[in-house]
Amino acid sequence: MPGLIGICSFGEGSEKWNVLRFTYYAMLALQNRGQEAFSIAWVDKATGSLRKVEASGNVEELLPLIDGSSGHVAIGMTSPLVSDHIVEVDGDVRVAVAMDGKTLDHRDRREACKAIGEELSSGSPLHESMLRVATKYRVGYSFLVLTEKGEVGCGRSAVGLKPLTIGSIGFDLGCVASESSALDVIGATYSSIVGAGEIITMTPLTLKRDRVIGATEEPCTFEFVYLARHDSVVFQEDVYRVREEVGKCLARGDEVDCDVVIGVPETSYPIALSYGATRRRAVKLGFVRSGDHIRSALKGSQLERLIGLQLKLNPVPSVVDGKNVVLIDDSIVRGNTLKNVISLLRRKGAVGVHVRIGSPQIVKTCPYGTEIPPRDELIAGNLRLEDIKKVIGCDSIEFLRLEDLERLISKDNVRPCTGCFGGRYAGDVKVD
Amino acid sequence: MIKVLGIGGGAREHSLAEKVAQSAHHPKIYWISEWRNPGIYEICRSTGGEYIIGSTTDPLFVSKRSKTLGVDLVIIGPEEPNFYGVADAVRDAGIPCLGPYRDVAVIEQSKAALRRLQWKYDIPGRLLFRTFRDVRSAKEALNEASKSLTWLQNVVLKPARQAGGKGVKVIEDKQAYLLNEKLTFKMSHIEWLSDYMSGYEDIQDRVLAEECVWGPEYTLHCFTDGKTVVGMPLVQDNKHAFDFDIGPETGGMGSISGPGMALDFITREEYERSLEIVRSVIRAIQDETGKDYIGVAAGQMMVTEIEGPTLIEMYSRLGDPEALNVLAVLKTDILDLAFAICEGRLSKVGVDFEKNAVVVKAVAPEGYPDRKDLAKGHEVLVDRDEVLKRGCKLYWGAAHLEDGRIVTTGSRFVELVAKERSVERAAELVNGCLGLPRLKGWRTLYRVDIGTRELNERRTELAEKVRRLYKFRESRGLLGSRLDWVPGMGLIDPALEVKKYEVDRT
Repeated sequence: MPGLIGICSFGEGSEKWNVLRFTYYAMLALQNRGQEAFSIAWVDKATGSLRKVEASGNVEELLPLIDGSSGHVAIGMTSPLVSDHIVEVDGDVRVAVAMDGKTLDHRDRREACKAIGEELSSGSPLHESMLRVATKYRVGYSFLVLTEKGEVGCGRSAVGLKPLTIGSIGFDLGCVASESSALDVIGATYSSIVGAGEIITMTPLTLKRDRVIGATEEPCTFEFVYLARHDSVVFQEDVYRVREEVGKCLARGDEVDCDVVIGVPETSYPIALSYGATRRRAVKLGFVRSGDHIRSALKGSQLERLIGLQLKLNPVPSVVDGKNVVLIDDSIVRGNTLKNVISLLRRKGAVGVHVRIGSPQIVKTCPYGTEIPPRDELIAGNLRLEDIKKVIGCDSIEFLRLEDLERLISKDNVRPCTGCFGGRYAGDVKVD
Repeated sequence: MIKVLGIGGGAREHSLAEKVAQSAHHPKIYWISEWRNPGIYEICRSTGGEYIIGSTTDPLFVSKRSKTLGVDLVIIGPEEPNFYGVADAVRDAGIPCLGPYRDVAVIEQSKAALRRLQWKYDIPGRLLFRTFRDVRSAKEALNEASKSLTWLQNVVLKPARQAGGKGVKVIEDKQAYLLNEKLTFKMSHIEWLSDYMSGYEDIQDRVLAEECVWGPEYTLHCFTDGKTVVGMPLVQDNKHAFDFDIGPETGGMGSISGPGMALDFITREEYERSLEIVRSVIRAIQDETGKDYIGVAAGQMMVTEIEGPTLIEMYSRLGDPEALNVLAVLKTDILDLAFAICEGRLSKVGVDFEKNAVVVKAVAPEGYPDRKDLAKGHEVLVDRDEVLKRGCKLYWGAAHLEDGRIVTTGSRFVELVAKERSVERAAELVNGCLGLPRLKGWRTLYRVDIGTRELNERRTELAEKVRRLYKFRESRGLLGSRLDWVPGMGLIDPALEVKKYEVDRT
């Protein structure tokens, strides 16, 4: 789930670049993947050694911490968990490892980064070591590594679950990022995705790429449902386009009374817009936000989520008063968000509230580190549809069908991971 | 029996030598190069000619040798001999030469001179530019541009003279929040360029700053005798050192062409416009110098949003690796063609090309292009029969034959070529051979992605986006115009500034 960015400068004059601010702005662009913690590592121009800065809180707090520092290679990470940072390992070569997702073999990301860091700091060539890592831990993650020698490595596990894209700035900088929009923000040209099981090593003089044998593309569908920015391309798919298709799927055959369509900010906007367009119904802006953009579902505690949510969602009276509202949201995790929103809408005069969800029911947790709560906290994992309706207080509720989601993302050689929605997990693992 | 002398020792020259050897005239082939190219050496020996190691840029040496050998024709491969007047000397000695006069080759030697020529003669497809003769004025101008946000903020910084393809930096500066990073880099690169250029005494300008444009690039080579200009199939070279279009600028890591005269992502109309641009440049430089252009002129082109086909640079010779693309499909006997060009009767010769697609890829030692010291001196091992068996041909580049061993000289040492019905199929064949050339105890560098469907599709997408933009401008009568409005200053046409500083003053 974290946002990853790595930048390497090449060729004549490569040492003249200071890429720390590039890294920072890419991290800013990747806050959708985590707002609780950030960390950055670089090879320091002044000392030649690997340096790291990490903290909890908003990425914007990073800037004063790197002021005056300079480095021509760097990696950065934003995370939805406090103290989930880039991990440094001091072996024969000092390395820093950042990860999105998680291996199956380790308890958490930190442990996984540490294990991988140990393999990569052994002093044997980085590229070959990374290939070994991607073969040994086959499922569930994308990773970045920075060595004290100034090498930037990146790769995706053989079963490619989490995204990674690659691009360039002029003849000078090579960039890898979780999402293409982070490349856009720093003025890099998007070239391609990093393929499943693909390992890339960049140094000032070389770029090496290889692929582990038997790699398969099994993208995380939650990326399309919620995580990724809708101006991004991930797994070679345009996120906005997928969300529009989701809206169409929800609208098809839906004949529920509808005076107005409202999307819960902001992930669901493309879904709401295409739902409304398909059913030829007005889509209106139903809410006004106070304060910063907060991804409430990613907040740690129940209270924090509620605060985030309530600040985010003050309904516009005339939009809902006396209306049958179709309320679109991207997903339901615990259900408190929707329960709250529906009660707010009703107080502002909504006659009917019909909930349409742009994803199937989340019934299981994620073994690959996406912040989905344990099963006993998942409303759809515990209650029947009728009961969910009663709890959240809506007139009707419909979810995107699992087969529709699978169809939207499946292609030749692409089998999406839909484990949390009750489908097949990437790597065919069994999760209770 | 006809005797032909070739100049230069790269893969381009190996391919030229092979083409000459295939001529129906069965010539004896002689060659001069700074190192012993194994492929050309073999061709010289098998035709009863001679391979001479010596300076390719010394006009006197080349013309004397041409005389003593009694050759009937000299063919110049690389650009540097053109800048030193080798063709002039050979022609003075009364020997036909496929290669331009020194004065004419200035269109390649001085990037600044080419730009001035284009603006002076109103040749379309041109970029805004400024030249600087010292570090201070360049820094001042670029500093100022970052404050006033004029076109000079988004620049390509180049050495004002052709300098082995090094030192070009594309600095698109469009994120206000990264302005300081970009500015710092511009300043330090200006200093680097100035130092680098101090090695060249033949030009006053040091730094060239050009407007930064985006779009698909391609090369249009032309044969010309000064009166007739004949276009060849378009070729797209790939300058980034690494896959994904990442990494430093090289002489070219691989090139694609065909099927047919244009590329999949360039329209016939764009081809014709490009040809007209190259023709105009040839006419203009002939008007300036009073000399005929004899040889090959090539436009390094880009389709840009501002003007459609736009001239980025000129070559006064065949490109390398692009030469291998066009020579692979040239059907006309190269000696008939060369003599026709030298004798001013190109219009009488039909120049024919096969329709096939061609993919060329270079293999270089790791360290190329920026660390020649690391890239040179490695022994090459390659199974040439296996290359042939896999449907490719191998041409020797920066490789020197000595005592039965072949050793790298620091640059692209081998180029692999395949000819097929489609670019993708040809690329597959070449990719199947990229691992065959190896270096003893050292690693090689090559690009897998050139010619693959993924990269071709990306080029097409880019071309379509840019085409939409320039067509829109064209429909509004805005092709090539760049208007700015600066609060407090009013309407500004940057083209007038270029004319004022660069054309009227000189």
